[in-house]
Parts: sequence; structure tokens; C-alpha cells
Amino acid sequence: MNLINEIENTIQEHIPDALIIVHNINNDGEHFEAIVISESFNDLGLLKQHQAVMKPLKVAFDSKVHALALKTFSLKKWNETKQNHATIEQKIKEKYQ
Amino acid sequence: MITDNQLNQKKEEIKDDITKNKVMLYMKGNKDMPMCGFSNQVVHILNQSGVTYEAKNVLEDEILRQAIKEFSDWPTIPQLYVNGEFIGGCDIITELFQSGDLQDTLA
Repeated sequence: MNLINEIENTIQEHIPDALIIVHNINNDGEHFEAIVISESFNDLGLLKQHQAVMKPLKVAFDSKVHALALKTFSLKKWNETKQNHATIEQKIKEKYQ
Repeated sequence: MITDNQLNQKKEEIKDDITKNKVMLYMKGNKDMPMCGFSNQVVHILNQSGVTYEAKNVLEDEILRQAIKEFSDWPTIPQLYVNGEFIGGCDIITELFQSGDLQDTLA
């Protein structure tokens, strides 16, 4: 199982309702970007949202993942602002619809 | 192997750092020579906001590098603290800077 699935599954396990997009920047196997959208973020500040994603990834960070650029949205914020993020919205549609 | 005792001692030092310095950055490299893209980005943002800040290089202190991650429950470096509080890593600092909220946090 490659690292992208491992990152996605780890996040999904800890945030079951999350919509998750992960990709490997420049296909270098080290730098990743993750977009996580979850209703459980609705009343969490940005730091708490990021910690909820980063904490379960601690092991991955200690060994394989060098860097993860993270973008999180509460479901509420996502629904309000998704028109400004066409590329993310497209990826989400492809994956979840 | 880093012992718990060493880690706890280092966490006391960290508490001291973030209390004494209003804006405290733990980074890879130093202000003049950041050694990682993310640390470089945060240094650039702090310089642009014109705030005075203290920085420590985790690459020079393996115990600090591990202790800081446990202290903040955040697995990566850089880490920014303002008024003794963990604000976040590169992504959050960048997002706060772009939204203008960083200026209030630093005020």
C-alpha cells in the first residue's frame, strides 16, 4: 500500500466522516498535500483542526513522510466557500460522487 | 537514546523560552540561514510583519527537536509560539498571515 493510501486511511480512521484528498507533490515520495473536510471541525479553530489530522500521522512523520502541506475546512466553511476552490471541489466530486 | 528525564528538563526550558519571549520560533536553521523551506517561509512572514522574535535551531539540539514535538503535540518543525501559546506550523502561520489574522495575534 503506498504512502498516499496510508495517509488517507490513517486520517479516515480517526475522522470517519472526513472527505480527504491526498497527493504527492512532484511525485517525490516525501512531500505531500492533504485536504481534509469534516463536520467534526465545525466548531474547532484552525489549530485544533490541524492537530486532529496531524496527531494520528505522528508515526508516519517520524519515519516516512517528510512534509505534509495541510488544508482543512469545516463542513460549514466548505459549503460556504467551495466555489472559491474549484480544483478541490472537482477532486472531491471525482472521488466521492 | 533520549531519556525521559532529558525530555522533561528540555520541556522546562521550552516553558521558560515561551514565557520570556513574546514571539518564539522553533525552526530548522536560524533566522539568517533557514535550513528548510517551511522554516524559511515562517521566517520570511515574521520578518515581513516586522515583529521582534527569538528563534531556536532544533537541528543543533536533538533533545529539543523531540521535546518540542511532545510539548505541543505537533509532529513537525517549524513551530511558532506567541504569548506562551502554540499558534501552529507553517500552514497555519501562512493562512493566518494571508487572512491578516496573524497581525492581531502578534500585536
